Amino acid sequence: MWENFGFEFVNYYFIPGLVLGCIYALGAIGITLTFGILRFANFAHGEIMMTGAFLTWTFLEISNIFLGFYMHPLIACTPAIFIAIFLALSVDRYFYKPFRDSPTIIIVMASFGMMLIIRSLVQVIWGPNQITFVKGIAKPNSYLKDFSSSMDMMLLVPSKHLFIILGTIIIMLAFNYMLTSTRIGKAMRAVSDSPDLAKVTGIDVEQVIRATWIVGGFCAVMAGVFMAMDTQFIMSTMGFRMLLPMFAAAILGGIGRPFGAVLGGLVIGFAEELSAYPWFGNGPLLSPGYKSGVAFSILVLMLVFRPSGILKGRVF
Amino acid sequence: MKKIILTGIASAALAVSASAEVKVGNPMAVTGPIPDLVAPMLLAVDLAEKHVNEQGGLFADGQKYTIVRADSGCDPTAAVDAVTKLVNVEQVSAIIGPVCSGATIAQAQSVTMPAGVVTLSVSASSPAISSLESGTDLVFRTAASDAFQGKALAELAIANGIMDLAISYANDDYNAAIAAVFASNYEILGGTITANEAHEPDKSSYRSEVATLGADTNNLALFAYYGSSGITILRNSLETGAFDLFFGADGMAAQEVIDQIGAENLGNAFFTTSTSDQTTNAFGAWKAAADAANVPAADPFVPNSYDAAFMMALAIEKLGSGDRAGIASALRAIANGPGEVILPGEFAKAKAILAAGGSIHYVGASGPQDFFNNGDVAGFFSKNTVVDGAWKAEIIK
Repeated sequence: MWENFGFEFVNYYFIPGLVLGCIYALGAIGITLTFGILRFANFAHGEIMMTGAFLTWTFLEISNIFLGFYMHPLIACTPAIFIAIFLALSVDRYFYKPFRDSPTIIIVMASFGMMLIIRSLVQVIWGPNQITFVKGIAKPNSYLKDFSSSMDMMLLVPSKHLFIILGTIIIMLAFNYMLTSTRIGKAMRAVSDSPDLAKVTGIDVEQVIRATWIVGGFCAVMAGVFMAMDTQFIMSTMGFRMLLPMFAAAILGGIGRPFGAVLGGLVIGFAEELSAYPWFGNGPLLSPGYKSGVAFSILVLMLVFRPSGILKGRVF
Repeated sequence: MKKIILTGIASAALAVSASAEVKVGNPMAVTGPIPDLVAPMLLAVDLAEKHVNEQGGLFADGQKYTIVRADSGCDPTAAVDAVTKLVNVEQVSAIIGPVCSGATIAQAQSVTMPAGVVTLSVSASSPAISSLESGTDLVFRTAASDAFQGKALAELAIANGIMDLAISYANDDYNAAIAAVFASNYEILGGTITANEAHEPDKSSYRSEVATLGADTNNLALFAYYGSSGITILRNSLETGAFDLFFGADGMAAQEVIDQIGAENLGNAFFTTSTSDQTTNAFGAWKAAADAANVPAADPFVPNSYDAAFMMALAIEKLGSGDRAGIASALRAIANGPGEVILPGEFAKAKAILAAGGSIHYVGASGPQDFFNNGDVAGFFSKNTVVDGAWKAEIIK
């Protein structure tokens, strides 16, 4: 039935791959930043993502009660971002800071514990059930459909995907500006390269760490909200499900390289979706049941042949 | 030396607590991909516990029948952890649960069978469980095997004029098994399967899967748990127009599916579930008790859950102790008869008959509950369609 469309590849493989890649990329930024600056794998990152999505849902419901209509999730997520960043900063202050000078494995375990604590708290507050984020079926954006069909093409992209792709591009541009042109961004890069050297040149390392949590938390909440907009439901395990692909993206791009994380996220998103395309013959190239395996085969190959990642990150 | 004394004190403490109550472990998928389906099942298990304790408790001295609940999360690893704790720390006499097939198989193989503890699952329906053990007689279930349900579903599909379809199933013990049974029966009945692919649960998008599967047909046989992949596949199929007719089995018939997708989009969807013959006396007795306690009597696997918890109490009463070794044969004795018929809720009556040396034959809310040699039972299935924004069940004979 797809022959009528012609644009099957773009609509059902390329764009979903791009959307998934954007979500992975945003999540992986936070992981690679904490890895680069604080030098540990933050297992609680997925839970910040998930908490952000739950808070956004709460504000959506509040707006429905007091204003009588549902705000757009991208508006409702603003207060959620502040709360989630506050959560990330408090976790750092009370659970990670005491271990700052301990061996890395201790702080990794602390983050693992935080992951379980945050998820359980969310389950206590919002319950273990799935919650509907946005009801119903998202039809393709009709303006884009008409516009593309007037040019003999057929682009079927739901509006939610346009928001996700455009939103990610805007966040990336802002992030790029921050890292290359602001004082704090330059300080972050300096601490990432060498914390000791940065300290002796007078950079306030604790301030840089706070900035890291703020940027990482912001990206995590946006990834969580984008994911909730895409799947249209939220549940307490959604962050954990995303954690492994996000780690894969961070390592693939090069640990401590934010743009590598973006690249890695996109590569993994595309690889997962495109592996099921019928490149040869009629059947899928690889059974979609092995989708996750694709991401991890790439990861294993990278670790074996180029452990520094695409953009020459740190090797541990 | 100190250690020995401590262990001695600990085991003495255990012995004291054991004399006051009999503990039965109840791992259930409280969290995980199907919490909405499990919530009423928990109520049913609690109701059976309440009935037993209100009607005199266990044995002549009225010991308490205690259900110790744990979360098996519909996940093999979580189930093994939860049941290990129940068996080794709580020292339960037997296990009622887990809900999901993968979890049931995993905990039976790694924990309960080596420990000699009986598992009585409330809803695990994978055909693989029928041949799980040979000669140990430790795994039972109160839900019918999907070897029957897969066949019923194939017949239903043909009867509805669905002659070609694509199959998508989640890669786990339950869904893969029922998909295989369905596929072979459907082809025997003359249907054409245009594509048959596994999918990995818990992904955020299945657009490429449905695009590949939907190339040659508009009908999708979907075997998945609603929370891990089912709803997303339905949504992606409808959004991309890949499929417009859906059907499948137990894991999908939850209210959450209607709430999220919208009843208006599910006019062409039906799912079979395990159900009970609602015309029997046993179901009538169960319904009266369940209604009084505000338990949804006819929800999927809810009567099966009650039957499991109630039969376990009858078996322990028959055995006269919480001894793990005797439970399997006691369970067969009270379930397969012969003896006086006991209906759901009639614990005091059963207790009196057993005390007088008589024998009983339990007839359950969900069916006769006579165990076959492999611990399976027969069952009924219903076809669920969306009517006025909720699932409506209709029994298939």
